[in-house]
Amino acid sequence: MAERSFAKEVLKLEAGDGETVKGEGILAITKALLQSGVSYVGGYQGSPISHLMDVLNDAQDVLSELGVHFEATGSEATAAAMLSASINYPIRGAVTWKSTVGTNVASDALSNLASSGVVGGAMVIVGEDYGEGSSIMQERSYAFAMKAQMWLLDPRPNLTSIVGMVEKGFELSEASNTPIFYMMRIRGCHVTGEFTAKTNRAPKFGKHNKVVPNREPEKIILPPNVYEHERIKIQDRWPAAVSFIHEHKLNEVFLGKHKQVGLITCGGSYNTLIRALERQGLADCYGNSDLPIYVLNVAYPLVPQEVAEFCRDKDQVLLFEEGQPEYIEQGLTTLLRRQDSTTRLFGKEILPRSGELTGQVTLLGLTRFLEEAITQGLLPNLELLLSSTQIEANANPLDPEDYDVLSLNVPPRPSGLCTGCPERPLFSAIKQVQQQLGPFHISSDIGCHSFATLEPFNLGNTIMGYGLSLASSSGIREALPHKAISIMGDGGFWHNGLTSGVSSAVFNNHDGLLIVVNNGYSAATGGQVIPSLVKSGRLIASTIDSGQPSRFDHQSIEQACRGAGVKWIRTISTYDIDKMKVTLTDALTTDQPGLKVIVAEGECMLNRQRRIKPIMNKAINTGKRTVRSRFYIDSETCTGDHACIRLSGCPSLTIKENPDPLCIDPVSYVDNTCVGCGVCGENVHSAVLCPSFSKIDLLYNPHGWDRFIATARAKVINMMSPAKVELPL
Amino acid sequence: MTNSNPHTLNIVAAALGGEGGGVFTNWIIDVAALNNWVCQTTSLAGVAQRTGATIYYIELIQNTAAKSKPVMSLFPAQGDIDVVITTEIAEAGRMIQRGFVSKDRTSVITSTHRVYGITEKMDLTDGTIDSQAILQIAQKYAKSLLSYDMANIASEHNSVISAVLFGALAGSDTLPFSKASYTQVIEQTGKSVSTNLAAFEASYQTAKSKGVGHYSPTTSKDNCAAVKFQLPETATQRGQPLLEQIRRLPEPAHHLAYLGTQRLIEYQDIRYATQYLNHLSEITQLDVGDDTFDLTTNVARYLALWMSFEDIPRVAQQKIRAHRENSIREEVQAESGQIITVSEYFSPQLEEVCGMLPRGLGAWILSSPINKVMAFFMGGRKLKTNTVAIYAALRILASLRHIRRGSLGYHLEHKQIDKWLAAIIEYAPRNLDVAQELAKCGRMIKGYSHTRRRTTTQLASIISATDEKTSAHEIFEWRSAALANDEEALTVH
Repeated sequence: MAERSFAKEVLKLEAGDGETVKGEGILAITKALLQSGVSYVGGYQGSPISHLMDVLNDAQDVLSELGVHFEATGSEATAAAMLSASINYPIRGAVTWKSTVGTNVASDALSNLASSGVVGGAMVIVGEDYGEGSSIMQERSYAFAMKAQMWLLDPRPNLTSIVGMVEKGFELSEASNTPIFYMMRIRGCHVTGEFTAKTNRAPKFGKHNKVVPNREPEKIILPPNVYEHERIKIQDRWPAAVSFIHEHKLNEVFLGKHKQVGLITCGGSYNTLIRALERQGLADCYGNSDLPIYVLNVAYPLVPQEVAEFCRDKDQVLLFEEGQPEYIEQGLTTLLRRQDSTTRLFGKEILPRSGELTGQVTLLGLTRFLEEAITQGLLPNLELLLSSTQIEANANPLDPEDYDVLSLNVPPRPSGLCTGCPERPLFSAIKQVQQQLGPFHISSDIGCHSFATLEPFNLGNTIMGYGLSLASSSGIREALPHKAISIMGDGGFWHNGLTSGVSSAVFNNHDGLLIVVNNGYSAATGGQVIPSLVKSGRLIASTIDSGQPSRFDHQSIEQACRGAGVKWIRTISTYDIDKMKVTLTDALTTDQPGLKVIVAEGECMLNRQRRIKPIMNKAINTGKRTVRSRFYIDSETCTGDHACIRLSGCPSLTIKENPDPLCIDPVSYVDNTCVGCGVCGENVHSAVLCPSFSKIDLLYNPHGWDRFIATARAKVINMMSPAKVELPL
Repeated sequence: MTNSNPHTLNIVAAALGGEGGGVFTNWIIDVAALNNWVCQTTSLAGVAQRTGATIYYIELIQNTAAKSKPVMSLFPAQGDIDVVITTEIAEAGRMIQRGFVSKDRTSVITSTHRVYGITEKMDLTDGTIDSQAILQIAQKYAKSLLSYDMANIASEHNSVISAVLFGALAGSDTLPFSKASYTQVIEQTGKSVSTNLAAFEASYQTAKSKGVGHYSPTTSKDNCAAVKFQLPETATQRGQPLLEQIRRLPEPAHHLAYLGTQRLIEYQDIRYATQYLNHLSEITQLDVGDDTFDLTTNVARYLALWMSFEDIPRVAQQKIRAHRENSIREEVQAESGQIITVSEYFSPQLEEVCGMLPRGLGAWILSSPINKVMAFFMGGRKLKTNTVAIYAALRILASLRHIRRGSLGYHLEHKQIDKWLAAIIEYAPRNLDVAQELAKCGRMIKGYSHTRRRTTTQLASIISATDEKTSAHEIFEWRSAALANDEEALTVH
């Protein structure tokens, strides 16, 4: 049950020939895969392709009807290894992940896959998490394509091009026996639009039509085969790819009247470039441009004859290439030099060496290039609508004084844990233990818990990768004044942490503490299901509806750790802050050698609310006695020191103007989004906060007895209540 | 190419994660479709969905018979935006900061309500930003500004802010679509149609009147200063002497002294309030040379708050107030007649329990081994105030205020209060600025248990570090340092 349901959208995947399909980029890709006759799909979730996994998950019916096999793989390496199905058989398949992080994880399998080569089309859809909205370090996938000799598609970001390029990509893969990277940028994944569908194709082979096992020993990556593989890559597959790309016109040339200059762009940046030209009066909104444009829908490899042809009559060409290093620029320079071309290629001299090609960056780069060309007399009679100075000024229209005022008055909004998040009490507990035993050096990991490194918890020193926190504590652990502390999510644990972390730590007599945050889902990527579940029978920590049988294939984190040799292991509900503090202290002070593991359990609250809200509403509407809880702060008792907020950071725990005119500082306040998780109360007790917090239980559909008691109590209390103090002034 | 070609209309919608920005953009897609316009949207999901700020980008263009499809940008670009629409005022500020608002082109539509950021919330005092400053800048840099409290309209109509934003967009006339096409889209969704339509309509009308009636330059943060206060002419016979005593204070201190007096009568009795006013009269004598009477007003504020320190009888008194249940019911939106249970989270500490006892006894227990036994009974308690036994217990605890003067807690608090006042009185004749800063240090006294102990200790160290050479600015710096962080120890040199 992922965060977003595509149950309605997946019906569009059944569209037949000529039907118009409307939707997002990721939906278009899924449809294109089905139109291409894939036999298997898989992948690992992560922005920006999380939704692609969600669409596939929600499309199980469509997939199984066609005979397409789908796996939500354990990691990107698992997904990449799936592609080996296409080495010996003419079977098409596709996998997807977040890049470059996922590509890093998958690299071992990808290198071997690329060495062996494929006979069935094999495609990796990489969500290029680069630029604004990215959640990872800034690198490009391009390098992976170059080093393994895989081809990299980067289509124009409209749904028709996106769909067309998936289909062509499989043909290219088969024509050149090479696996393909298909790159989708963040905004391209979420862009909306429409395309004309084709009827889905059932896979040639699959569960409905089995293959005859076929052994081709020369494809196995052992010497001497690997030497031959390298030769084939360069001498056979590469030329085959270049001629396919050229013959099928995968790259596009748009002619323009100013033939002396030219623009080269990757498909993904094409729309931004057209807008820049439009704003200079050099194109219309339909893409008709006065300047010639060469669009690289295949970013790797380059096609020498196309480059030569495009540049032949041009004095100057500007290449729009995103990020660094400038691989395409280097490639084009080599090609032009080898061809003894006199065309001057501009790229990173004009455009920034790092960062995304945004609208502003593209317009500014284009304008600088054209201003230079105009100065040199290459573009007679051409007048630009905007000068580079004007464009630069657009980026900051504010007077210095107003700029300063805004800087002071626009608060930062870092990502944080959601309302009621089970990880919040864990970090409250760690923060409190730190006051006794700290300060701490903490090895953090990838996941929602990464947000603990931000305000208000400020816990965590390094993040080395998914599931790598425990591994990353091993170098520093002997040098720390306290036992090493690593925090990992359940997602990271199953992805990588069990092997890279736990097994290795046990083997090396690691004496530190590993906290596995078990919220029952891969929560940060959108709440996808993972192997482990949170135990049933706990009111707040369960991921299973009461009365429901637990999932039969549940894989236990605790069992896995024990299997890997961990002796000291405790499973604790995160919402029990006191118990968590005692256990943390115990783990950090015990004399018992070896790795200590605390499985901190509590269901992801976003998922929990999605799960229980309908149940609760149904209960209330059908007349069942139901209690709903939430918290409340007495603004008369609150002194406005906000210690509770510094320990929690819950979005529903906020502030409001102090109702007492004597007090200047705002009081803490619980808004109506509170889900009553109980952390505020736990913190009051464990951190000895103020007596302002109350839990309010709202009772729906009371029984007669409830009413009787309530009325009786109210009557007695009313009799006891103090007379109002009459103020003498 | 010429510039007379059709252009896209470009909209930036800024929202916070979970506010329904996605729903809003989908509605715009549908309005565009109804009007035969082409619409393209993009968004940045990623980690921004977890409470962070995020933006949606929307481009619209009229559908023509032309065979070629429009090429629309996926990036909002500075200088190329027609409408910026934000769910919260600080986010409007962020859009201006990022250059998405240009004077010649951009209409800004924003709600004026606040959703506080974590840095604003976690401040030990008041870390909130000044939203009026943002509105003024928006007015200056936008082609037009439409602003009103949209969260309020949403809650009035039991709807969501996206419906109110939608109404604002329709009423702003920035897009060439009829009102009917907007309402049709809401109707088509089939979800919460009547409430969403009501919120849409209210917002539409407000927008049509350019937000008039909702936009009010609110009072400054110091809400006391904004209201012109007049002391009442007369009071009851018992209150008259107090009133006279307040009247003799400088006028700027009247309101605070009046509120402080009321607070302390309710807290203790008339004698206690007189004690307060006597301190104030003494301070006023020394408050010479500054016609804002900053010293008197600050002492009036912070002395009243400190003298009404939260001990167990005080907390019990607040928990059994007659109006409390209604305040709770209103805030948690309980249905009329619905049964609610209120569970208080108390964690009384030994010091607090002993503070309630007579001075000698309390001090003895704290210093004797018996405190180990007593400590066993301390710690977290969850008590239901609307059960008879607990209510009765609280009622008894509240009545202990009558013997408060003899308690250990009273003795200790007043010892510290006296130290603070003595320091102010010592420096006021020599250096009024220093005395004023010392008075403002009264703001540090807040919180319970650890927090309270820390702030009180910090104030004590500021007082003892102050000597003839100390400047007002130094005290200001010490206070700021003490209030900036509650994790590291304060060092006063």
